Amino acid sequence: MFSKQKPMWGEKTQLKSSYDAVIIGGGLHGLATAYYLAKEHGITDVAIIEKNYIGFGGAGRNTAIVRANQRTQYNVPLYNEALKLWPILTKELDYNLMFNNCGNLNLMHSEAAMKAARMTIATAQFHGVESHLIDAKEAKELVPALNISEDITFPIHGAMFHPPGGIVRHDAVVWGLARGANKYGVEIHQQTEATGIKTQNGKVTAVETSRGTINTKQVLISAGGYSAALIYGMLGIKLPISVLTIQAMVTQPLKPLLNHVVSSGAYHCYANQTLKGEVATGAHMDQWPNYTTQNTAHYIKHQAEALSEFLPCLRGVKFMRIWGGLADMTPDMAPIMDGNDHVEGFYMDCGWGYFGFKSCSAVGKYMAQFMAEKECPEILKPFNYRRYEKHQLMGETAALVNYTPDN
Amino acid sequence: MMTRFNQLPTLKIDPTKKVIFNYKGKTYSGVEGDTIASALYANGVRIYARSLKYHRPRGLYSLDGECSNTMMEVDGIPNVRTENTLLKQGMTVKEQNVKGSAEKDMLGFLDKLDWAMPAGFYYKMMHKPARIWPIAMKQIRKTAGLGEISPDFEMPGKFDEIFPRTDVVVIGGGPAGMTAALAAAEKGLRVIIMESRPWLGGFFDYRTAEYKDGVALYQRGQDLAQQVEANENIRVLKHTAMVGAYSNCLVTGFQTGTDKDAFNERYVEIRANSVIVATGCIERPLIFDNNERPGVMQVGCALRMARNYGILPGENGIFSVGHDLGLEAAIDLFDMGMKIGCVADVREDGQDPELVLALAKRNILLLKGWVATEAHGKKQVNKVSMSSIDGMITRDFDCDVLVASAGLTPVTGPLTMAQIKLRHDDFTGFFVADEMPENTFSAGRILGINNALSIECSGTLAGIKAAKACGACDAAEVEAAEAAMKALPGPVRGSKLVTAPVKGRKSFICFDEDTTIKSVKQTIDSGFDVPELVKRYSSAGLGPGQSGIPGHNLPLYVAKYQALAGVPVKPTTVRAPIVPTFIATYAGTNHTMHKRTPIHNLQVADKGILRKIGVWERVRYFSEDYSCKKEIENVRNNVGMLDGSTLGKFRLHGPDALKALQRIYVSDMSKLKPGRVKYSAMCNDDGCVIDDGVVVMLGENDYYITTSTGRAGQTVEWFRYHTRYDGWDFSMVNITDSMGVINLSGPNARKVFEKITDEDVSNEAFPYSGFKEMLFKDVIPAKVMRLGFVGELSYEFHVASSYMTSLWQLLKEAGAEFGIQNFGVEAQNVLRMEKCHIILGQESEQRTNLLDVGLGFLWDRKKADAKTVGAVALRQAENDPSRFKLVGFKMENNGRAPRDGALVVDSKVRGYIATARDSFSLNEAVGMALVESELAKVGTRLEIYEDECGDERIYGKVVPMPFYDPDGTRMKS
Ligand SMILES: Cc1cc2nc3c(=O)[nH]c(=O)nc-3n(C[C@H](O)[C@H](O)[C@H](O)COP(=O)(O)OP(=O)(O)OC[C@H]3O[C@@H](n4cnc5c(N)ncnc54)[C@H](O)[C@@H]3O)c2cc1C
Repeated sequence: MFSKQKPMWGEKTQLKSSYDAVIIGGGLHGLATAYYLAKEHGITDVAIIEKNYIGFGGAGRNTAIVRANQRTQYNVPLYNEALKLWPILTKELDYNLMFNNCGNLNLMHSEAAMKAARMTIATAQFHGVESHLIDAKEAKELVPALNISEDITFPIHGAMFHPPGGIVRHDAVVWGLARGANKYGVEIHQQTEATGIKTQNGKVTAVETSRGTINTKQVLISAGGYSAALIYGMLGIKLPISVLTIQAMVTQPLKPLLNHVVSSGAYHCYANQTLKGEVATGAHMDQWPNYTTQNTAHYIKHQAEALSEFLPCLRGVKFMRIWGGLADMTPDMAPIMDGNDHVEGFYMDCGWGYFGFKSCSAVGKYMAQFMAEKECPEILKPFNYRRYEKHQLMGETAALVNYTPDN
Repeated sequence: MMTRFNQLPTLKIDPTKKVIFNYKGKTYSGVEGDTIASALYANGVRIYARSLKYHRPRGLYSLDGECSNTMMEVDGIPNVRTENTLLKQGMTVKEQNVKGSAEKDMLGFLDKLDWAMPAGFYYKMMHKPARIWPIAMKQIRKTAGLGEISPDFEMPGKFDEIFPRTDVVVIGGGPAGMTAALAAAEKGLRVIIMESRPWLGGFFDYRTAEYKDGVALYQRGQDLAQQVEANENIRVLKHTAMVGAYSNCLVTGFQTGTDKDAFNERYVEIRANSVIVATGCIERPLIFDNNERPGVMQVGCALRMARNYGILPGENGIFSVGHDLGLEAAIDLFDMGMKIGCVADVREDGQDPELVLALAKRNILLLKGWVATEAHGKKQVNKVSMSSIDGMITRDFDCDVLVASAGLTPVTGPLTMAQIKLRHDDFTGFFVADEMPENTFSAGRILGINNALSIECSGTLAGIKAAKACGACDAAEVEAAEAAMKALPGPVRGSKLVTAPVKGRKSFICFDEDTTIKSVKQTIDSGFDVPELVKRYSSAGLGPGQSGIPGHNLPLYVAKYQALAGVPVKPTTVRAPIVPTFIATYAGTNHTMHKRTPIHNLQVADKGILRKIGVWERVRYFSEDYSCKKEIENVRNNVGMLDGSTLGKFRLHGPDALKALQRIYVSDMSKLKPGRVKYSAMCNDDGCVIDDGVVVMLGENDYYITTSTGRAGQTVEWFRYHTRYDGWDFSMVNITDSMGVINLSGPNARKVFEKITDEDVSNEAFPYSGFKEMLFKDVIPAKVMRLGFVGELSYEFHVASSYMTSLWQLLKEAGAEFGIQNFGVEAQNVLRMEKCHIILGQESEQRTNLLDVGLGFLWDRKKADAKTVGAVALRQAENDPSRFKLVGFKMENNGRAPRDGALVVDSKVRGYIATARDSFSLNEAVGMALVESELAKVGTRLEIYEDECGDERIYGKVVPMPFYDPDGTRMKS
């Protein structure tokens, strides 16, 4: 530990002319899939192709909230497994992912919202995931900084309390998985852009990159916000994905104040305190397609107005930095995980919007299984993209494309 | 308290006016104009805080709040930048992040344990064995963070906001900013100038060196400030820190109020036609061992302490600098009485000969090509080791203040934030913009120039360019200004040195995060090879000082360390708010923006209990009995009135209006007849129902439509979007807010209605689904519809908002003899549920299509030409057995109603309860549920799983809908 440091994910190497599998995108999902391919399935001749540096995309910009109280029965088991994997991965990777299972408190501001929460809670409980409906007073006991008075824009009626959720250090996940994958032999090529996928007779034959062509029979696109454009550009497959800018921000670091993740759909705002003491808060998506990661003046103001109301002590705290990232939204707020459909050997894992952090561990595991066995694991089947052709939306969100912040 | 200069012409304090404050429980006094930091310094305080990780002593360094060194708790507010905060009578000031005091911190020993905390050590430790992590985490949380705030803290003070529009906004009130503002104002443009300090003047303000013709720089600064303040076209925002710059010339900031202002702070959002960035430079910190020890400070800090605040920062000064301003300051401070042991300049040559001469005249030793390598002294510097740049020769000097500065660094934040790409320029050592967006210009020291006349001229040039961009002058004037600029001295060479020749274990590149050169090396060795990643792994630049200290040095160092790889120097990103800003300030006036109906006050007077529902404030209940028994029974047996004004209301007219209706609604709208109301629904492309409402024909090509409350905002756009390629001629107006709606329902509704009109409103003359335009009391025009949402005889009156009160009173008076009563949204909810009239969003979710909720009968399959939105999907879905269906159910054994949101299960989730209530009208529990189609047959038993039910289940049975008045006689007769 105290000796000279070595590059965590290997020395920079030449790109080889062929690999057993190529993964486009060195984000959470790409790294996790590579890790499990190597570890669980012995497929170690893998190249991760990353245009910038690992963690450049959503992986390095998210607010690291994890939870398993999703809305539908398809999602709950997947996220639940993901949640349970954090301590296991910490051990396996021998890298502290700093899982803080502080629990999530999702505030409800109306009778209708309480009803909606009840359904989500019942679904969680039915699947053995702990989640409870609590009233405003109980919420205040958990989060003393909450304003439960009537005289705010959206008075708090109660909350959905999900004790096993929390936050994980996002950077640690990226670096830990990269190191873990590299230990098994996975190569990580940064500053390398994937520019095309070659196919022959409906099968993948190669991936083109800014550093030359790589022959391979299997390729996964997991390029976060860029996936939909890449998949269309490279293979002509159109996905019903809108890419929007999503923003988050932090305050100056404080001594412990918030012991849980607090979120509010009505206020479009969530807040949690990182281990560094900063209050991380976010949720807003500009509702028009936008591939920039620029932040906006109105949003930071909105966020301040919201926090002023439901966590008023934060008025005396200062915002320190705001940033933006991309959210690739599907019409039903559930992701697309599919493969071997249009083109043999081609896999995709995208449409993760603002919830692709909490899922990445389990998804990496199953996408790796998918790629290794060439057969879609049962748990991933509902996420096929043909559901949109059949107009069968998944129902992960109740309201009509209404982007809520309850991450 | 030390004696202070009280006669300097550059002073910002009034030494005659005392200001009393409290520091750590003791009373201290400063003077008017002091910042908290300067007052403390005058009182002998040198150690202001302890650092985040190692608890090293920290003191005054830049005087502009670029690091957390001098952040303190003031009046309960944590992390206050005391260098930028004016002292006020009675303030209570405390240290932060210390165990004991900043002077004697019990955690000071941590400084010796740095070997145990290499870069990234958190990640590598404390998770083995797993059970220690929760304990370690608690400890980490406690030690992390600087200030403390109590959960019930209430931020005092008043906060405001303004959103001015202007032609030109100038960021920075130094000489360049001022000349720019004057030049633009001269062309008749409106100008706003923002300056973060409480006064204009920039770096002229505290300098006595000659400007021209015997005039000192500070005099010139004051002169320019007067001109600016006197100019009517210029709005001066002093003590206003720019915090955000966005594309399209949007600039934000916050202003600190003076005693005369009605606000403590106010948020400022300026929309301009042109932006001039004249933010000048800050100093690039010099890195050597213990480079942040109290007593080590930057050139501007030392000089401004003396010139602005009348405090000589030390008796014995040593200088280690890399630019002429350092030499100038040494001379000035010497003249004010500081002994100066030596001035080391990292530059071997290139100094202004006159400054060199002036130093020699004063017998001040100038060591060219030398640099400080280590500051000695446990808590405060008392000695400094100097060496030649190559590290060959060293010498020690005693001192009580070490003025250190490697070079200058332009404040490019506003450019970076506005997405302007910067390049590292080898000559100046600055990050410069080769290309600026239209309408954005920079001026002054940010360009690398240092000559006073050049700086002013660059301001004038920028002002004229901005005027040109605003169309207020021509190209010739720009050319003339450019020529004038060319005639003056250009950019000066900058010093390249980042760190003294040291190993760097105690050389800090970032003060806030305690990041040393050594940990940056470790970080790069670990594979984090771009500055952005180094920042993340080593935390450098992520602290409260917003990268002010490491911002320039980090990319320089990262490139240098990897020299062999030929790594380009790339700036790291800068993010708003560039100056940390209170959430209270951003929130400004924090208005609540909810719409109220035209008869809001009447509803409140009638004891309506309000709820915020979407964008509206509405009455949900009229008593504390949330089951609404009385309200419901009154509507079922008598007559009630509901304020339905929140309904979306639109007028659609034009030759192609019908075509648009056909596209959007699923029904055949060509069958609309005058005098009749048509109920229909809208779907999206997936066939999912997004809205329902009624349409009436007001005349030829003229329609009035209603939507649900929630969709009102999106409806116009929805019509536009789905007809955008057709070029149809129709208009649509949202009149939601200009119209109100009264719903009159119950068996006695007609009797009440008859009392306010002479027209025939009998069932024959005004049948169910009828529509009439009527005039009440000769003046109140209303659109009246006969509907039955709640399942009773019911009329809906749509009137102009201004007539709502009159009509409401009229009906209320007419109904008095029957005992008419209000009912609210919850009563309506139960009433309509008994009738199985759905509310979208309640009996549907986003994936529910028209057929699923049983509204398939509305869909006209024959109007294929209309390309009805959703029709394609509906055709496909017709034969899909896997979809949910809306069913009605009752409870077994007369059991209670399940809670809304309960699940319908077997071994899996099969559906859920949409709405269910114990019905007073039916004397049993009824409800509607969305279930898989296999379970939708009448008679099917539903196993219901409620939250917290454990192993218990309750059971219901699918029954036909509706539950109440199945053949609709009550509604229709
Ligand atoms: C502000 C914000 C807050 C969020 N908060 C949360 C949260 O609290 N909880 C949660 O669960 N999720 C959250 N998310 C969402 C989450 O970050 C993403 O869903 C997740 O990062 C997706 O992971 P990924 O691996 O698919 O993509 P990414 O992490 O985005 O990685 C994609 C990578 O692909 C690379 N790439 C792109 N094009 C190419 C190419 N042509 N060739 C090679 N490489 C390429 C990119 O450089 C990038 O590194 C948030 C997102 C944002 C932006």
